[in-house]
Amino acid sequence: MRAEPAERLDPRAKTLWRITGALGALPLLAVGASVSWSLLRVVGVPSLLGILPLLAALALSAALAGVVPDLRWRRWRYEIREDEVDLQRGILWVSRTLVPLARIQHVDTQSGPLQRRFGLATVIFYTAAGANQIPELSAPVAAEVRDRIAELTREQDEL
Amino acid sequence: MSSEAHHLHPAAMLIDAIKTIRRWVSAFVIPGIAVLASSGFSMRTVAFILFGALLATALAGLWGFLSWRATTYEVSGGAFRLRWGVLQKNERTIPLDHVQSIDTVQGIVQRLFGVVEVRIETAGGGASEPDASLPALDRAATESLRREVGRREPVETEEAAGPTVLRRLSLRELLIAGATSGQIGVAFSLIAVFSQLFDELGNFFSEELVRRTLERIAPSSVAAILLLVLAFGLLSWLLAIAGTVLAHAGFTLSREGDFLYIKRGLLERREATIPLRRIQAVRIVEGILRQPFGLASLRVESAGYGEASGVSTVLFPLLPRESVENLLLEAAPEFAVAPALEPLPARARRRYVLRSVLPVLLLAAAVSLAAPLAFDLVAVWVYFAVLLLVFPAALYGWLRYRAAGWAYTGDLLVVRSRLLARTTAIAPRRRLQSRDVIRNPLQRRARLATFRARVASGGGGGELQVTDLGSGDAESLAEILGPRLRRGGG
Repeated sequence: MRAEPAERLDPRAKTLWRITGALGALPLLAVGASVSWSLLRVVGVPSLLGILPLLAALALSAALAGVVPDLRWRRWRYEIREDEVDLQRGILWVSRTLVPLARIQHVDTQSGPLQRRFGLATVIFYTAAGANQIPELSAPVAAEVRDRIAELTREQDEL
Repeated sequence: MSSEAHHLHPAAMLIDAIKTIRRWVSAFVIPGIAVLASSGFSMRTVAFILFGALLATALAGLWGFLSWRATTYEVSGGAFRLRWGVLQKNERTIPLDHVQSIDTVQGIVQRLFGVVEVRIETAGGGASEPDASLPALDRAATESLRREVGRREPVETEEAAGPTVLRRLSLRELLIAGATSGQIGVAFSLIAVFSQLFDELGNFFSEELVRRTLERIAPSSVAAILLLVLAFGLLSWLLAIAGTVLAHAGFTLSREGDFLYIKRGLLERREATIPLRRIQAVRIVEGILRQPFGLASLRVESAGYGEASGVSTVLFPLLPRESVENLLLEAAPEFAVAPALEPLPARARRRYVLRSVLPVLLLAAAVSLAAPLAFDLVAVWVYFAVLLLVFPAALYGWLRYRAAGWAYTGDLLVVRSRLLARTTAIAPRRRLQSRDVIRNPLQRRARLATFRARVASGGGGGELQVTDLGSGDAESLAEILGPRLRRGGG
């Protein structure tokens, strides 16, 4: 196959993902803590065993907020070629996606409140079989990518 | 092109009234029964309910008349116009250019009056709900509407010839299709639910009677259970056959120009139109009960327009595997190929077997962890039973491995896989919306990858997937199925 896609996401994505990862880990911690509490207080298992759920939740949270954003960012790559959009993503399950520009029906950019804080935006493009996205690009880059996809899509003249 | 506004066939009043009554019945049946039961079936309540039902029927009839009077349609100024609504007046205008197809359905009530429901579907419309539906038109009105809205392409002489019938489902094939439909499971669970209901009502069979009958035919309890299961199975099998007969009786596939027509159904006659250019992929499904007899069914994924999702429909419910190519050649020649498929590399076999054995091993591990908590003897038995499952699981994995394969010929991607049924999917390169090559760590180590292509279809896109093909094959497949641009020129 051709070489990896050339472009990376904005580095600020890592910080954003850390924050969302930490927020996502809160309910996990709550569940771990309450399970541990009820094991220790209500069931009365040995303290070493009872603390396990909390530890597991802590470890998972640390991974979600610490390691995962880094790995994810390092893997995520994209490239807009003259005939296709080329995406690569995934930490364990690495997937490479090719979407012909000729099949793209329209392109959006979106940015949520947290993304705006960091000056980031997501490019979403739709085909007849569903949507694909390039997340966390810096806002000007996202606008540029969106316009480029839109323009190239118009130019496609396929055999 | 212009015409005056038409009313629907008067049968529309009755159909509307029945629809209203049906809605009321479903809303009031449970409270009604509750009231009846709590009042102990007193004459007064029964009379009250009867009076209420009578009043409701009269009201529904009146409403049916009013809404019939309010509903008109016309074709004028290059658009189809539908006006309806008794209190709130609605009007919908559909430009004739946007009309994709005009389908007809004939329910039981419509059959009594010799009318059909006409559904007008447009390019932007959803798959489930038609954009305009006329519940009752007679044949003549339907034909003239078809002509007016018309695909204006077919010339009058061709119109007279009508579509050519490609294949009809014979009664024998219909029954075989039902018997091998593999919907026994669905029917089985349905019966289970119903029998539970009956149990609770309790007065359909007296328990004593059932017990005595059972004791007479099957003295031991094991035999009784076996007999019960057998009876259940037989009943659900018959139910599955009945379901197929209802849906597919008189299945006829015909073609005229660039349109395929499907007619089917015993009580409710359905006619559907599939424009050839909207077909995205064809699937040849060899059900687990059908494959041994060399039988298959044929499905098509057809897309809506733009973002609207399409549908996955049965193109033909049962035919010999070897005549699939011939039928496709006549119905959708673009898809008529039968290439020799590339098998998966031998190193993929282990992964297939492991993938289906793993859940069983996990279950065994869970059981052995839980064993100290349970009675020893029982735990040991369960443990052995679970371990015995390993063999069928391994066989299943091996069968899936054997069924899998792929090919790329004549600009078509052909992919075969098995879940229970063995399914061969065929899609042209130009219809592929995206391609994925996916690898997990284990696949990376074995130099394998999963290839997946998407086509537009109902429910967010149909997939054509090959799991565990050689890493290099996956990549070159993704590459070769890419777009080919027309070079040069402004």
